[in-house]
Amino acid sequence: MKDKKQLLSPQEELKQKEFQQEAVAHINALYNYALHLTMNPDDAEDLVQETYLKAYKFFNSFERGTNCKAWLFKILKNNYINKFRKNAREPGKVDYDLIKDFYHTIKDVQSDTTEAESDFFHSLLHEEVYQALQSLPEEFREVIQLCDIEGFTYEEIANMVESPIGTVRSRLYRGRKLLRAKLEDYAKKRGYDTDSGE
Amino acid sequence: MSAAIDGELTPKEEEELVSHLAECPECRAEFQDAKNTKIIIRERIVRVQAPKTLLESIVRMTTVSS
Repeated sequence: MKDKKQLLSPQEELKQKEFQQEAVAHINALYNYALHLTMNPDDAEDLVQETYLKAYKFFNSFERGTNCKAWLFKILKNNYINKFRKNAREPGKVDYDLIKDFYHTIKDVQSDTTEAESDFFHSLLHEEVYQALQSLPEEFREVIQLCDIEGFTYEEIANMVESPIGTVRSRLYRGRKLLRAKLEDYAKKRGYDTDSGE
Repeated sequence: MSAAIDGELTPKEEEELVSHLAECPECRAEFQDAKNTKIIIRERIVRVQAPKTLLESIVRMTTVSS
């Protein structure tokens, strides 16, 4: 039986090695992003798998020295649009049962966190924060996810969402304001006075 | 404001913001609110590991000659 590796050209071997190091390292971030987009572990797996296949195919077009994670995210987002756009939920509509199920599915895994300082924030549950985020219109939710959760720069986000940096800035500003109001609602329901303190 | 929180201001803009915040309690409160909102999102959104089977299948797909 022939060794498959012998069939590879030296260039192809190099490409594989580089791809494993550069791209596969971001699998957890991609999977989490896919989960947030699809709200379904099976769809998320499919999406990540297709993203990597496409990324591998076009790895030669990846500009060395730029952020590989941002490049992969863009591929994933485009895949998601092509695949799921038809079924995408309307902006602002939140399926709370879906979020509950989703959190039930992944509840075994806790994020390792340090706590925010204020009491108001201490009172919020993971699920509530997630619901608040999911209830934002997509254009705001997307930039907040990419910036606050994934840590992309404004330039990288602008490239991903295909909008000018100024638009990213203002979406972040408005999105955080909306989010803050929603989080305060949750805190108030728990009896916290969000107008005092800080 | 958002740009300041995300470390995206130029040094000059940052200098201007710092001196403005020093004398404007409303903006200071808003700045703190926006900062806390970023922190809570980063800390409370649960992150999970990708399934091992997914990782293995991707490594396999991109290792074998096609």
